[in-house]
Amino acid sequence: MQQGKTRVLSLLAVLSIAASACGTSATPSPAAPSGATPTTVAPSAAPTTASAETYPRAETLYTAGKQWGAPSTWNPLDTNNYAMGVIGLQYETLFMYDPLKDVYTPWLATADSGWDAAKTTYTIKVRPGVKWSDGSALTAADVAFSIQVWKNPALASVLWTFVSDATATDDSTVVVKFSAPAYAEWAQFLYQNAIVPKAIFEAKNTADILKFTNENGVGTGPYLYKTHADDRMVWIKNDNWWAKTALNLDVKPKYIVDVVNSSNNVALGQLIQGGLDLNNNFLPGIASLVTGGYNITTYFAKPPYMLAGNTATLIPNTAKKPLDDPKFRLALATAINTADIVNKVYGGIVTASDPTGLLPIFSKYVDTAQRDALGFKFDTAKAKSILAAAGYKAGSDGFVTNKDGSAIKLTLEVPDGWSDWMAAENSIAASAKLAGINIDPQHPDFNTVIADRNRPDATSPAKFDLIINNDIQVGNTPWTWYDYVFRQPLPNGTNETRNFEGYSNADAWALTQQMDKTPVDDLATLKTIASKLQKIQLTDMPVIPLWYNGVWSQVNNSVWTNFPSDTGAQVLPATWNGYWNMGAVLMLTQIKAVPPAK
Amino acid sequence: MRKYFGRKLFTYTLTFFIAATIDWLIPRFMPGDPVAGLMARQGALSPEGAAALSKYYNELFGLNRPLWEQFFGFWTALIQGDLGRSVFGHGRPVAETIMSALPYTLALLIPAILLSWWAGNTFGAMAARRKWLDSAVLPVGYILTATPYMWLGLVLAFVLAFLLRIFPLSGGYGFNLEPSLTWAFFVDLVAHWILPFLSLFLVGFGGWAIGMRNMIIYELESDYSRYLEALGAPQSLVRKYAFRNAMLPQVTGLALQLGVIVAGSLVTEIVFSYPGIGLLLFNAIKSEDYFLLQGIFIFVIAGVLIANFLVDIAYVIVDPRTRVGMRGGTA
Amino acid sequence: MTGLANTEPKLESPVGAPAAVATVAASRKGRGEFLYFALRSKKFLFAMGILLVLIAIAVLGPMIDGTDPVATDLLPMQPPSTDPGYWLGTTSFGEDVFAQFANGLRATFFVGLLGGGLAALIGMAVGFTAGYRGGWTDEILNMLTNVVLVIPSLAVLIVISSYLKARGVLFEAVFIGATSWPWAARAIRAQTFSLRSRDFIDLAKLSGRKGWRIIVEEIAPNMSSYLFMTFILLFGGAILIAASLDFIGLGPTGGMSLGLMMFNAVTYGAALLLGYWWWFIPPGLGIMATVGALYVMNVGLDEIFNPKLRDI
Repeated sequence: MQQGKTRVLSLLAVLSIAASACGTSATPSPAAPSGATPTTVAPSAAPTTASAETYPRAETLYTAGKQWGAPSTWNPLDTNNYAMGVIGLQYETLFMYDPLKDVYTPWLATADSGWDAAKTTYTIKVRPGVKWSDGSALTAADVAFSIQVWKNPALASVLWTFVSDATATDDSTVVVKFSAPAYAEWAQFLYQNAIVPKAIFEAKNTADILKFTNENGVGTGPYLYKTHADDRMVWIKNDNWWAKTALNLDVKPKYIVDVVNSSNNVALGQLIQGGLDLNNNFLPGIASLVTGGYNITTYFAKPPYMLAGNTATLIPNTAKKPLDDPKFRLALATAINTADIVNKVYGGIVTASDPTGLLPIFSKYVDTAQRDALGFKFDTAKAKSILAAAGYKAGSDGFVTNKDGSAIKLTLEVPDGWSDWMAAENSIAASAKLAGINIDPQHPDFNTVIADRNRPDATSPAKFDLIINNDIQVGNTPWTWYDYVFRQPLPNGTNETRNFEGYSNADAWALTQQMDKTPVDDLATLKTIASKLQKIQLTDMPVIPLWYNGVWSQVNNSVWTNFPSDTGAQVLPATWNGYWNMGAVLMLTQIKAVPPAK
Repeated sequence: MRKYFGRKLFTYTLTFFIAATIDWLIPRFMPGDPVAGLMARQGALSPEGAAALSKYYNELFGLNRPLWEQFFGFWTALIQGDLGRSVFGHGRPVAETIMSALPYTLALLIPAILLSWWAGNTFGAMAARRKWLDSAVLPVGYILTATPYMWLGLVLAFVLAFLLRIFPLSGGYGFNLEPSLTWAFFVDLVAHWILPFLSLFLVGFGGWAIGMRNMIIYELESDYSRYLEALGAPQSLVRKYAFRNAMLPQVTGLALQLGVIVAGSLVTEIVFSYPGIGLLLFNAIKSEDYFLLQGIFIFVIAGVLIANFLVDIAYVIVDPRTRVGMRGGTA
Repeated sequence: MTGLANTEPKLESPVGAPAAVATVAASRKGRGEFLYFALRSKKFLFAMGILLVLIAIAVLGPMIDGTDPVATDLLPMQPPSTDPGYWLGTTSFGEDVFAQFANGLRATFFVGLLGGGLAALIGMAVGFTAGYRGGWTDEILNMLTNVVLVIPSLAVLIVISSYLKARGVLFEAVFIGATSWPWAARAIRAQTFSLRSRDFIDLAKLSGRKGWRIIVEEIAPNMSSYLFMTFILLFGGAILIAASLDFIGLGPTGGMSLGLMMFNAVTYGAALLLGYWWWFIPPGLGIMATVGALYVMNVGLDEIFNPKLRDI
């Protein structure tokens, strides 16, 4: 009897899963795109069909890495939260920017777009023949709206602090006027922000614009919303993508299934078994898989395997003794054995940072002679001599003390559970100890680290001594990095996203602003400014760049092949937000299906 | 009888109130600002953008209202089934998030609990005083019940899913499928369910089998069994009485065991990325999504209380003494 | 969740605390008899043997192999070998797995002893008082037990631990002790309840002794074997809870434990998939052996204390 009951119960439970799982995808998927007619997204009330809809393996690309937690919004204006692919696969930008080649490719705009001679007005020419997925044409009105929408205070954009007007002058032209051209930021806007259909978004342009989730929206891109569940996001190919004829580009996978991140263990298992084609997580031990005959490859076949994606930087609290002393900061930088972190903690999948902190893609902005003269290098003896020369004497326990004789004990905080950083902080503490600097590695939980990191108000210093941060990602200009290091006035509280070290230098900030106001193609001027900024940075050491975290990307080549690599297609191999429109969409046009084994 | 259940109901309500209040305190009394944490996770926002966004989030989560108002609002909302909004889910309703995960956990827990209890007790009873079976069940039972859930789960996943590829490695259903009421989907669902179920089942099975075996031996050695034997009662009758008496503590044990099994399902779901409440909880802990945590705990508290209540009823049915006294030595 | 912390509520069972009344008589007999039967109980000896080996590793291991368990100065990902520092191989960071295992075993025993011990003490205090006093005291304590039983102890842990800069093994042990006592309290209450009406307790009451003295002098000694077995179960339970906590990342933030080893091996090494079995298998076996031996020992003790159960 007992047995019978349990059977019924388990059956009920299973049925309820099926029912609820159906429930989550209750929004009917768009009618399968077929033929030349554009598919409509009018929701039909038809129930799910009787047969289980499968995505044939040979036509489906399985990805993972971007999505932490269930996909919850498809609103491309919610720039920090939109589901994997919303900008890039579904919505598109005016330009595509390739950081590896430093080239802007006209995308929804045409090559005729550009500045006037005085460089105060920017004219956007809208690409003809682009259609929204509901069949209507992309017009200049859509583009003008997509710029104007950023006036909405709910979107909290800085765009309209330097843009003064954006008007569609005819069906294919938008003229943008500037109050004070910020060239670097405008260039970022051109390749980062989505063009949205005015017809749909205008009605939503209220204080609640971020509450509009835009599930199954209307875009111009190569993919359409198919379905989603708490653990996945599914895209289906848009057969009417404009670039097919205009640029002769064709995305190969019919479906893209993005799997929400789970444990490293599961992700690695899926990758090895071929359940995932492309994974953009940090997977420790990947080096041994690349050489292990699993058909798994990375961008480089040799260390560091990955492209550099951001700079992990040690941030000293310059409001506190002895970290307010540039000499002490230089000594600390010199004391850290970054090679140990690179090799031991990361097993060689990262590289040590340039002392300037600029990513390799920005190497042309590095004043190498100056860097070689001023840049810090790991040298315990030298660190000791810098400390001695600056007046820090060793106490009885071997650690240097403050000039007033009080003990120095610096806490270094990284969030609990960030295991690679936790291992890195131990390494930092160990090598600093050799130079006589006492560092206490701690790992409180994430929110505590943030609470310690942020200045409570405009006048009070933050609590931390040392933290590690890597917020600045690959982009089109080194301005972002200098804005991050030198930003004035010091932001505080929840707005604190720059200048965590609390370093104030009016000259450096003036140079940073000047960089923003230099046209992005005026390389000579940019270089001159960058050189001056590097001099300040390398002398004053407001931050200590340590290593480059990678654009983590590992692929299994058994179903799809010809993924980006240094010897093949050289584009960014990542599905992260912002990367699709930095060239990763091209990856989808370049990969090839592996013919099934006979 | 009515008095007994009335008192139980009162106790349970009060317990729920206390537990839920403690639960409510979580997001409010954590050091650090959940909104600041959420924004920091989004990386390089511009400082101007961050200001507006933090205002938006504070209003969304109601964190800018006075505490007493938040507490009152919490209970009014709870009664209406509103558990607030998930910070990490960018304002997605917590109740909705939990409801989409709940079926998976129930499908895992209910069969695992009931089947392991039934199978464990059956095997344990058979093993008692049967040398050959005993010597087989006993060591296996001890090993199983002493195994950490996640370790067993990981080994099962490694052998059966990774090496032999008999079962899928993770997830609730195949990533190549869309949910539908079809046979293919059902089979896929079951295939994904088996390994996490097995991990929970095996550990539970070991515990119950050993417990039952020991209890039966007690009963078989007790005076009444000896007396029955002396009277010449058939073995099967003696064993039947022993089994019925040994059953009582196993029922109580079931109530107390619930917490462990729920905890077990937490780690098991993590191991298999099985999209139930446990995985949700784990992600909420990782992302410090206190509102989601709060909502999950409300569910768990309510679930365990309901299960306890059911066991209370079962106990009354199984044990005639409770019906008379409703008070006494048995726990 | 109600609980990670309420593990082991296998009241009166699995490995279970016996129906102790039968035990009472046995436990009053001398130590000599205990030893006599203990040395003849295969289960007890077997379990004791395993535990002694594990304790030896935990105590002597770190002395013989003095490597810092979190020092990363060895070659990473080396399989076990006879070279010093590589007995159980190394992790992907270049840590010594044996050093981690030995130190982790120490922490595991520490958590078990302290967490289990604390839970036993609280369980006894609550159980004795509730069982002996009865009435309103019983009602209130029963309520308290119920609240602790369903309270989301994991939630409490998250809140407390976010106020601490670091969580130690000591904190973990105390936390487990403070939350895993309810089933023991219930069991002890039930036993006390049935002892309360015995003649010798009535006699003690007539002699005018205070309630707590009667508990300490008459009731507790009469169920000492039961209490000891309860402690052993709590001991094993605490170890399993600790392993779960470690595995979800709520374990100690410094130091080393077997659960933490497993956690690291999985989250950071994907140890099994990449073939570093030596990093993942030992901690699991260590926990399994420790807890399993404790449970077997419990049954062994039961048989020793309760002559009817002896196989002899």
